[in-house]
Amino acid sequence: MEIHKGKYRLENRNLNFDIVDDLNFDSNRGCLYLRGDNGFGKTSFLEKIIIPALKTANLSYLYIGQDIRTQLYTLRALLSIRGFKVSDTDEVELLRLWIHHSQSARVLILDEFDKYFPDYGFIFDWSDAFIRNYIIVTHLGMNRSGAVAKQHGICNTRFELISIDGRLKNIRVRNE
Amino acid sequence: MNNWVILKLGIIFIIIISFFWLFVFGPFYDSIIIQLAVFALVMGWNVLRFSLREAISLLKFCLPFVLSLLVFGLIFHFMQLFGRTDWLEDTLIKCFIFPSSLVFLKILLTYISYLDILNLPISMEKRIGLITMKSAFQKGEKILSRFSWYLNTYSDLQSSNRIKSQLQKYACLIIALYLYLYEEIENSNRLLKNRYLHLYEVNE
Repeated sequence: MEIHKGKYRLENRNLNFDIVDDLNFDSNRGCLYLRGDNGFGKTSFLEKIIIPALKTANLSYLYIGQDIRTQLYTLRALLSIRGFKVSDTDEVELLRLWIHHSQSARVLILDEFDKYFPDYGFIFDWSDAFIRNYIIVTHLGMNRSGAVAKQHGICNTRFELISIDGRLKNIRVRNE
Repeated sequence: MNNWVILKLGIIFIIIISFFWLFVFGPFYDSIIIQLAVFALVMGWNVLRFSLREAISLLKFCLPFVLSLLVFGLIFHFMQLFGRTDWLEDTLIKCFIFPSSLVFLKILLTYISYLDILNLPISMEKRIGLITMKSAFQKGEKILSRFSWYLNTYSDLQSSNRIKSQLQKYACLIIALYLYLYEEIENSNRLLKNRYLHLYEVNE
């Protein structure tokens, strides 16, 4: 799956992306870090461009959103209807169960997961056997390279504010 | 101030009771034309009070319940259950009444503000209870679309059988909402009580 370079406009989010380089999610294993200041549309880019593209390509994925506390209610519900007893299960165990039972997924998306779990190497330990591509939104300067670098090529993609037209932000998205 | 609040809440409750008496249990229940008109009016009011987007998401929320009602109505109609031949008409009426009454109730209750609750001549314990309920349900309503969004990303819930996956999705939605409200009510209630006790102690 590929997101081609070009202009992408998210009208209701007042964002205009200029993607300078193609973003490739092909068979090669890779870890894509999305970086940029708050308000530059990284989450919108994930939710409105990358995830719909993954759905269209019929590529199975796991997405852990920035509002993980909200998402956990849905995971608890999902695992409950799958027959797991999760009433006393903590959040890390919930995530482990979900990831462990989602081995058809090939892409794992983490949106500022390090905000809740600064040391989140455990996610790679759980998923490395079946995940081909990681897409990670982070504000931290360093990559979690220790856990993923051996098998995954790392690519940093930067979101930069070019200009503001009224309320519309023009954002450049380029690979470093 | 107290009298004004009691009058306001009294009027709101009289309107709610009148609505249910007239259109849900009373004389206009049988008229499909009136039910359709009430539905249109209530939805229009909802758009004016909130937004078109909000009205659409509310209708989407009601859709599975309305559809399942319709399916059972159709089955009963073709089976002529209990010898009745009016199942279809009766079901259509219920399909309008359900969203109308839900939206009507929701709109009316939004006219009750936190200040109104604070000015009620009841104990602080009861006020805290009412404030907690109002806050939790407001948050619950907002969070529904986010829950729904997350559930749409789970490949576990995408199966070749569309009806089955939709039913599972709605089961998850209801469980998630229940869990959220349960925790939210408990947390907000504890928070409010602690703040009140602290302020009370400081003022003492």
